[in-house]
Amino acid sequence: MARSLPGFLALIVAVALICCSFAAAASTFQPISESHRSAALETFDRSYGSLEETYEALQTFDVLGVERKPDVGTAACQSVSQTLVSSSSTLKDIFYALKVNGVLKCEVDADSVEGIVSTLQTAVGSASSLLEFYHSIGGLVLVKNQALKDDLYLADAEGVFRSIKALSQSDGRWRYSSSNPESSTYAAGLALEALAGVISLSSSEIDQSLIGTTKNDILKLFERVEKYDDGAVYFDGEESDAHENQGPITSTWSVIRGITSFAAVTSGNLNLPGEKILGLAKFFLGVGIPGDAKDFFNQVDSLACLENNRVAIPLILSLPATVNSLTRKDTLKVKVSTVLGSDAPPLKIKLVRAKDTPAIESQELKFDSANKVHVLDTLEKSVDVGNYIFVFEIVFNDPEHKKAYAVESKTEVPIFLTGAVKVGNAKIAVLDSDLGSIETQNLDFAGENLVSLGANHLQKLKLRFQLTTPLGHPFKPHQAILKLTHESKVEHVFVVGNTGKQFEIVLDFLGLVEKFYYLSGKYEIQLTVGDAVMNSFFRVIGHLDLDLPEAPEKAPRPPVQPADVYSRYGPKAEIAHIFRAPEKRPPQELSLAFLGLTVLPLLGFIIGLLRLGVNLKNFPSAAAPAAFAALFHVGIGAVLLLYVFFWLKLDLFTTLKILGFLGVFLLFVGHRTLSHLASTSSKVKSA
Amino acid sequence: NEQLAIPQLRQSSYRHETPPTNPSRRCLHLGYFGGKRLHKISWSAPKPSPLTRSAPMAKLAIFFTLTLSLLPFLSHSFSPDTPTDRRILVLLDDFSLKSSHSIFFTSLKSRGFDLDFKLADDPKLSLQRYGQYLYDGLILFAPSVERFGGALDVAAVLDFVDSGHDLIVAADTTASDLIKSVATECGVDFDEDPSAMVIDHQGYAVSDVDGDHTLIAADELIRSDVILGKTKIEAPVLFKGIAHSLNAANTLALKVLSGSPSAYSANPSAKLSSPPSLTGSAISLVSVVQARNNARIMISGSLDLFSNRYMKSSVQKAGSPSKYEKSGNEQFVTEVSKWLFHERGHLKAGNLRHLKVGETGEPAMYRIKDDLEFYVDIFEWSGNSWEPYVADDVQVQFYMMSPYVLKTLSTDKKGLYHTSFKVPDVYGVFQFKVEYQKLGYTSLSLSKQIPVRPFRHNEYERFIPTAFPYYGASFTTIFFFYLFVFFLVIKTRFAGALQMAGFFIFSVVYLYNNRMVGRPPFSIL
Repeated sequence: MARSLPGFLALIVAVALICCSFAAAASTFQPISESHRSAALETFDRSYGSLEETYEALQTFDVLGVERKPDVGTAACQSVSQTLVSSSSTLKDIFYALKVNGVLKCEVDADSVEGIVSTLQTAVGSASSLLEFYHSIGGLVLVKNQALKDDLYLADAEGVFRSIKALSQSDGRWRYSSSNPESSTYAAGLALEALAGVISLSSSEIDQSLIGTTKNDILKLFERVEKYDDGAVYFDGEESDAHENQGPITSTWSVIRGITSFAAVTSGNLNLPGEKILGLAKFFLGVGIPGDAKDFFNQVDSLACLENNRVAIPLILSLPATVNSLTRKDTLKVKVSTVLGSDAPPLKIKLVRAKDTPAIESQELKFDSANKVHVLDTLEKSVDVGNYIFVFEIVFNDPEHKKAYAVESKTEVPIFLTGAVKVGNAKIAVLDSDLGSIETQNLDFAGENLVSLGANHLQKLKLRFQLTTPLGHPFKPHQAILKLTHESKVEHVFVVGNTGKQFEIVLDFLGLVEKFYYLSGKYEIQLTVGDAVMNSFFRVIGHLDLDLPEAPEKAPRPPVQPADVYSRYGPKAEIAHIFRAPEKRPPQELSLAFLGLTVLPLLGFIIGLLRLGVNLKNFPSAAAPAAFAALFHVGIGAVLLLYVFFWLKLDLFTTLKILGFLGVFLLFVGHRTLSHLASTSSKVKSA
Repeated sequence: NEQLAIPQLRQSSYRHETPPTNPSRRCLHLGYFGGKRLHKISWSAPKPSPLTRSAPMAKLAIFFTLTLSLLPFLSHSFSPDTPTDRRILVLLDDFSLKSSHSIFFTSLKSRGFDLDFKLADDPKLSLQRYGQYLYDGLILFAPSVERFGGALDVAAVLDFVDSGHDLIVAADTTASDLIKSVATECGVDFDEDPSAMVIDHQGYAVSDVDGDHTLIAADELIRSDVILGKTKIEAPVLFKGIAHSLNAANTLALKVLSGSPSAYSANPSAKLSSPPSLTGSAISLVSVVQARNNARIMISGSLDLFSNRYMKSSVQKAGSPSKYEKSGNEQFVTEVSKWLFHERGHLKAGNLRHLKVGETGEPAMYRIKDDLEFYVDIFEWSGNSWEPYVADDVQVQFYMMSPYVLKTLSTDKKGLYHTSFKVPDVYGVFQFKVEYQKLGYTSLSLSKQIPVRPFRHNEYERFIPTAFPYYGASFTTIFFFYLFVFFLVIKTRFAGALQMAGFFIFSVVYLYNNRMVGRPPFSIL
C-alpha cells in the first residue's frame, strides 16, 4: 500500500470525523426519505451545462420518484437528437445522450441510430484506453436496452473482453490505458461495467475462465475496502494528476455500478460477503444529504444500483424514533426497508436483549401491516426510564431470502425511554454545628414560593430531595447541581451527591469561607436537576443571607466578573465646561450715583469761581504776550483733550507722536509766556 | 510573547494610542500593533518549467501575462477603501465537508468571495508568499487536525490575524490541541475535558433520534443588529459541540450565542462526579473577537452548526410550543459571516473639521470663549459601497489631559455629524477627539490638535460701568486743573514753572496708567 503520509493522515481524520458526525446522529441508518426528495429539487434546480449533468439530474429525479419540470425534458430531447445526428459528437457525448434518452424516451429516428451503432462499433474495435471502451460499449448496451435496434451484437466480444482485462492490475485496480501505469479503484468500476456490457452484447458464451478471473479481481478489489466503526465501508479515492480527483464517494459509486452490472449479466455467485454490500449501503446513507450535485447523484445512483442487485440486496433496520416517552405510552416502532425506502420481504424482528440490562428478555415484535412497522408495545409495564441499547435481530420468514438480502446479524440501537420522575421529600435547612436544626423548610418545586434563609460561618446548609421513577425506583440523574450566586455574580457550583435513595448535600460554611472569598451578603440558591430521560427542572429555590467573617489580608480576591457588554459601549455622559464666574460688580445705578458725586466738587469750584469773580488781571495786555499766553492755554487744553482721546481710542504711539509736537509747541509758547511774566515781574520789582 | 510583540510595535507604533490594560492573551493585544490594512497585491508565481527558463523572451512574456492577469485581482482584493475580504482560504479535515457544508460555502461564493479549499495537512499550505498575504480571510473547518501542513502553524495563523485578517475557527468534540491553542490565543478557552460536550436538559432540541440532549436549540443571542443583522433570528440555532468561556478581563471578545442557565459542559456518557467547569450562562457556544486592528475572529464550538443538515433541519425547543420549519442556523451563520468578512459594521470617519461661528475657514488657533462648530463625516461599508452611518451616540471630546467638553453629535443622516460649543476659558493645546466604540462596529479614533490662547490685551471689556466714578473723578480733575491754571495761577514765574512741572508729572502718570488697557485709568491715583 504505497500511500503518502499526508494522505494516510487525511484518511484517519476523515474516518474520525465522519464517525463522530454520523455516529452521533444515530448509529442506525435511515433510508432515503422525503427530505432527500426536496433536497434533490433544490440541488438540481438550475440549468444543466452538459448532457452528463442533465443525465445526473434526470436519473436522480427518476430514482427518487420526483416529478421533474416538463420543459427540462423537451430541451434535453432536442440536445439528444442533435448529439446523435452530429458527426462531430465525441464518444462521451453520445454515451450520455443515450443515457438521457434512456430516461426520457425521446423519439430518435432509425437512421441516426444506424449511424451511431456503426460509429460505436468501430470505436470499440479501435479503442485503446479504458474510457473509450467504457463509453463505446456503454453506448451499445444502451442502444440495445432501449430496443432502438434489434440483433445488436459485438463482433469479437471475447477479444474485446481480453483487451479490457489486460488493463487490470494484480491488486484489483485497473489502469486507464496500457501506456499509463497509474491505476485506480474508479477505473476498476468503469472496467467492470464495460466488461458487463461486453458479456451482454456477445453473441456467444464468453470463456468461463475469463469471467472467473474477473470475479477474483473483484474479490481482490474488495480487500482494499476501508471501514468505519459503525460498519460502513467505502473505497478510498485516489489523487491522480491525469484525471480529476476521485473522492471516496465517486470511487465507491463506480465500483458499485461495476459489480452490480457485472453480477447482473453473469451466472453464479460473486461470493461477496453480504456485510460488505450492506456496509456500502450504510456508507451512502451515512453521507446524509450532500450539497454537491455530483455527490448527490453518485449517492442516489449507487443506492439505486444496490436497491435491486443480484449480489445481495441490503435491508436497513431503522427506528422512526429512538426517544420514546413512557408517560405518553409511546410504542417502540421498528421499520425494515430497502435503502430507497421500499418494503422488505416478509420477516420478523426479535428484540434479543438489551445491553447491560438483564431485565429485558428476548421477545418478538408484532407486525403492524397497516403501517408496515414492527411494534413493541409492552414497554411501559416492564421497563423503567433510562437509556438502553437494544439489540434487534431480523429473521426472514422465507429462508431463501437470507441469500438474496444482506442484513446485519445483530443491530444495536440506543434507545431513550423518558418518563416523568417524581420529586419528593425536598427539604432545605440551616443547621448549627451540633446538628441541631434551626429552621427546616419544605420545598415545593412546582410552586412559586421562595425560601429565605440566614446563616453564619459556623452553620451548615442542608438540602435533600428524592427522585422516583414511574415504577417506583430511585432515579439518579446526570445533572444534579446546586448553584449559589452572590450579588456580585460570583458563582459556586456544587454537585448534589446521592446516598442510595436520596440526594443530599451539606454545605459546611466554616470550610467554605475561603472558597466563598469571605463574601457576605445575599446568595441566590439555584437547583438544576436534569437528565436525558426525565422531566428536568431548573429552579431558583430562594436566597440565603450569609454572614461570613471579615477577609484577612492575604485572602484570595474574588475573580473579576465580566462586565455587561451592552453597558460597556454606550455613550458617555456629556461634559460641559464650567466657565469661571465673572467678578461681582455693584449695580450700575450705584456707579452712576458715585459718578455724579465725583462731578460735584468741580461744580462747586465753578460756582465758587463765578461767585468770586474771575481774576484775569495778570493776563498780558500787550498783543504779542497775550497771544502767546492764549496759545499756551490752548496748548494745555489740547494736550488734556489728547489725553481724553487717548483714553477713548488712540494708542500710545499715536498719542506720544501728537504729544511730541504739542509739547514742543507748548515749551515754546510756555517759555515766551514765562519770560514775559518774568520781565514784567522784574520791571515791577525794579519799579 | 515579548519578543514577538516588539518588532510589530516598532513597525507601526504610531497607531499605538491606548495601551492595553491587561494583555493576558496575545490575541487581546495583537490588535494594538496592527496598523491600517495595507493594500495587498495578490501574487502567484508561475510553476518553473524548463521551457520558460530557457528563453528570456518567454520569461518576459510570462511576466507580462502574469501582470495582466493580476490586474483584475488587484482591483478586487482588499483595500481600506473596500474593506470586504475577497480571497478566503478554507482548511478542511476532509473534502466531504465541502459537500456537507455546501450551503454555507455557496452563500459565501454567491456574495463574491473567492474560496480556496485545501486540506489542513496539505504540505503546500501557505498563507503568504514573498511577504504578501495570499488571502484576506481564513476558515478553519478542521477541528481534529493535529498539525497543519506546509508553512502554517499557530504563530502563522496569529500573524495573519495580527496583520488585520479575519478568521473563523470551528471546533467540535474531536477538537485537537492545535485548534484549541489557536482559540486560546484569541482569548477563548475551550473546556479542557476532551470528552465534554454542552448538555442542556432544558433547552435541547426536541428530536426523535437524538436523546442525550447534546443537540441544543440555542436562542440566547447577542442583541446586536450589526452582528446578527436587522432581521431577528426567530428560530433557535442548533448546536452540538463543545463549550468555551471568555476571560472576564477580555473586552474584545463577545458571546454571540451563549448557553442557557441550565446548560453545563460534561461528558454525557459518564457520571458527573465533580462540578462541571463551565455551567449556565458562562458557557459560550459561539464567540466573536474584534481585535484592536479591526481583525475579526469567530470561534464556534460546533462545526455542525454550519452544516447543511442543521441548516435544513426543523427545530422545536424543549418546552416551547412553537415549531420552526427551519432552524435559525442558516440565517445566523450568514449574518455572522457578513459581519466577520466586513460586509457590515465597518466604519470610516474622516474630514474632521471645525470653524469659528460666523467664519468659513478653519482657524489655526482659538481664543478662549470662542463659539465654534465641529463637523466629522462617518460612513459605514455596506459590502459594496460606503453608506452614511446614522447613530445618535457619536461623541466628540475637547481634550487636554482630560476632556473639557464632551458633546454628542447630531447627524443630518447623510453621514455628516455636527455640533457646536464654546471653547473653555482655559488656554493650552487642545485636541478634538472622536473615539467611537460600539458593540460590533469597528472602533474609530480620530483626533486633531488645536491651540487655545487667552484674550489679547485689547480684547477685554473696555468701559466698565463700575469704573465710571474713577473716570468721572479723573476727568473732572483734569477740567478742574485746566480752569485753575487758566484763571487763578498765572501770577508769577515761579508759580508758572511749578505748573509746568506738575503738568509734566501728571502727563507721565496719566500716560503710564492708561497704557494698561482694560484697567480703569488713574487706578494708581
